[in-house]
Amino acid sequence: MEAVFIVPTIAIGLPWLILHYITRWKTAATITTDDEQLLEELYQLAKRLDDRMDTVERLVAADNPDFKPRILPDLESDNQKLRELDRLIGNKGN
Amino acid sequence: MTSERTTLYRDKQNGKLMGVCAGIADYTGVNALWVRLGALMLVGMTSGGVIPFYFLAGLLLNKKPAHLYVDAQEQKYWQRVRQSPARTAREIRARFRDVDRRLAEVETYYVTSNPRLSAEIERLR
Repeated sequence: MEAVFIVPTIAIGLPWLILHYITRWKTAATITTDDEQLLEELYQLAKRLDDRMDTVERLVAADNPDFKPRILPDLESDNQKLRELDRLIGNKGN
Repeated sequence: MTSERTTLYRDKQNGKLMGVCAGIADYTGVNALWVRLGALMLVGMTSGGVIPFYFLAGLLLNKKPAHLYVDAQEQKYWQRVRQSPARTAREIRARFRDVDRRLAEVETYYVTSNPRLSAEIERLR
């Protein structure tokens, strides 16, 4: 009598469960090759711009001793606040 | 569809046996030790039921290309992309804003103080 319940549970329920999660996983946040390319380019561009900005600030500071970048480049305490702000904006958008 | 940086590989170089655990660690950004401990716990819980899956994964997954990332920073970046692309996009935007703000500082400095003009005036005196 018990086998009547157990066999369908395993034969139908288990594949159902697995397929359900596979479809959930497939439709979840997947990024395409284009997105990947874009993220790669943005990463490299941001890195280059950061480096260039460092150079420019150093050059200006070397020419003019009174020039002090008010916010020092890539300072963790600044970046933390900026990320926090960005996260809040992102949450608001969703 | 097969995007190079967002596929799961097996990391033979850092692996212990076939590099499946190291590959998962590299993919997710979780320390390889925790992945291995989790795998061992799974083996214990299923009384060896997952071992065939390990070797199946070891056979099916491709080896990680040797020069996928230039440095550790890039590797970390792609781990974050795989965790959440939206968050990474926001972080990139934050970096651009950062550069924009710093450039504005330099611009403001040149516009307001104009050091070259004051230097010329000094020379004329």
